[in-house]
Amino acid sequence: MKKLLLILLISSAWSCSNEADPELDKANFTRIFNSNRYNASYNPIDIKQTADGGYLVLAGRELENSNFSGIYIIKTDNVGTFESEFIVDETFVNPVGELMLANENFYFFCMTGVNLQTQLVEVSQAGEINQVINVGGTYPSAAAMDGGNFLLLGYDNASKETVLSIVSPAGAVSQSASFSIGAGDAVEEPIINHFIRTGRKYPFQVGKTLGGQYFFNGFYNYTFSLVFTDLSEIQGVVQGQQDDGGISYLLNTTGNTFATARFNFGDNYFIPNTPINTSGVSSSTDLPGFELLELTADAPVKILASSIKNTEVLVYASNTKGGQIGLYIYDRASGDFLGTKYLGFSNPYEVSGVINTADEGILVCGTTYVAGRFPRITLFKLSKEELDKVF
Amino acid sequence: MTTNKIIPFLLMVFLTGAVFGQAKRKVPPGFKKKAREQQNSFLDKQWWIGLTLGPNLTKAVPDGRYSVLVPTDYDIAQADKAYDGFSQLGSQATLEITFNYKGFGFSFQPTYRLSRFSYGSEFLWENTENAQETLQLNYKSKQSVDYADLPLIVKYEFTSNRLKPFIQAGIFYSVLVNASKTVERSGIDNGSGGNNPFTDPAVTVGAKDLFHKGYWGIISGAGVNYSLGNVRLVLDASYRIGMSNITNTENRFSNDRLAGIGDVFDDMKIDNIVISAGVLFPMRFLSTSFKSSDR
Repeated sequence: MKKLLLILLISSAWSCSNEADPELDKANFTRIFNSNRYNASYNPIDIKQTADGGYLVLAGRELENSNFSGIYIIKTDNVGTFESEFIVDETFVNPVGELMLANENFYFFCMTGVNLQTQLVEVSQAGEINQVINVGGTYPSAAAMDGGNFLLLGYDNASKETVLSIVSPAGAVSQSASFSIGAGDAVEEPIINHFIRTGRKYPFQVGKTLGGQYFFNGFYNYTFSLVFTDLSEIQGVVQGQQDDGGISYLLNTTGNTFATARFNFGDNYFIPNTPINTSGVSSSTDLPGFELLELTADAPVKILASSIKNTEVLVYASNTKGGQIGLYIYDRASGDFLGTKYLGFSNPYEVSGVINTADEGILVCGTTYVAGRFPRITLFKLSKEELDKVF
Repeated sequence: MTTNKIIPFLLMVFLTGAVFGQAKRKVPPGFKKKAREQQNSFLDKQWWIGLTLGPNLTKAVPDGRYSVLVPTDYDIAQADKAYDGFSQLGSQATLEITFNYKGFGFSFQPTYRLSRFSYGSEFLWENTENAQETLQLNYKSKQSVDYADLPLIVKYEFTSNRLKPFIQAGIFYSVLVNASKTVERSGIDNGSGGNNPFTDPAVTVGAKDLFHKGYWGIISGAGVNYSLGNVRLVLDASYRIGMSNITNTENRFSNDRLAGIGDVFDDMKIDNIVISAGVLFPMRFLSTSFKSSDR
């Protein structure tokens, strides 16, 4: 009986340890930020972790009087609890990612609703807009960090050119280069439809390779292409299939080796480890890759370099036909497939961004359609321990 | 025959056998005073073993609130789950081992218990520009949890008659054996031009990983023993207060199916109302003829 009592007491003490754990709450959570407005619609664009461990989400919102997407910003704490929202009025529209960190503030590009002039928006760590700076140019489509400056990809509808610019946090354009999309209205139509959300969403992207070349994924010479440039001339092009195929996402892993994905007439291919000719002309269909039949047609793809179980990995995130967000893990060095994880159930889920977090987990941001109809921002925080179970 | 039907049936068979098995025995001739004193002294100590069965009701008491759906433009309290207290019937079977000494009983009662509890949440979307356009969703989540209880209980009997009321108190530790949960979704959709009530197919999942391996608590209650022949019939009711969190905090969001439909456990403790009836057999007898030990 004494032994039994001892076991009972030890067991009781052990059970007491199962109390709320703030560290666990931070490590793992799922959140859907819900508005009870029937006609409200939110689609996240990018997410970043703030200095306080919380998260800042840049999102688009449906506007009543414009075909462009409006601007919506959410700040959460480190367990994903809603802290504040910032609804920008219809003066400014078409927010584009990335959310970029400079001088302890976050920045993103958008444009004015009336004359479509590109603006640089400075957002505090608390999710409040500090200032909006006129940059000039029109139709911003993608942005990325370039040291202490920003790379901006835009479309000039007057000259029908794709424009790549270097912009300082003060909004000054220090350098830019323009690339013709080709003559005629037909080539412009899918671009405008992208912006007013009546056509296919193109995976516009801009960045810089590890070797210092600038690149953009956008329209050039009648085709959605991946273009490498030094801003004075075009150095290399990976051509798509007019507006039906091209690169979905590009990440330079080492030297001339890239992790990428491509779409082609609705099909999707992951290419986790491949050299790309950055100084000549090639075609995206030259990159064979793994065909992912489970993905939606021309699915958006995000690629994140991360570390799981002490292995350098590439996390591909995309949308499945089953309405889930699929995470596909590949070995960064070899490109070998390691494992998958699917997020979401019942309601459809779509990926918008995936980031590494300070606690060695990852956070996936996306859209879910609550009750099958209301587009809302959703976050999946996956702990290091949970990721370790993927493979 | 379902488990719910089998348990009362077995109880009836068990009690009937136990009672009528003793019924034909004649009361022995009267003892002399000395012999009676010796018997009483003997009866001061007695081991009892038996089986009790019965129903239970469970109430979950939330400690910390968690929600997948986070309100951005309405009160966060509206996202809280509404728990149904003591509304779902469960059952339990107990092996009781009790040592009695001068009215006090020290009892170990390992129990296999199925407990059920439920909670619900409601959501409403309204179009401020068109009052006709609304969607109301109601989620109902029902949990079935199997525990192996290990209680230690002290009893005190008030009289030494055939009918012996008693009070009891103790502690217990419950080990999780299995769990499942079912989420039902229904609502009223006014977004398609008319009133459209609907009920979606329920989602049932194994939920063992969502519960902690065990929890502990305290017991208080009362009951009555009735001496019938050599055996005791026992009927008792107890209130069990859970003292530790039953939710597995590590796995709170681990079930994609549940998180995907917006269901996640709060931190919570559970209280039970447990009613049991059964029969106890003496382990010490006055003679080898198995005469009664407890008159």
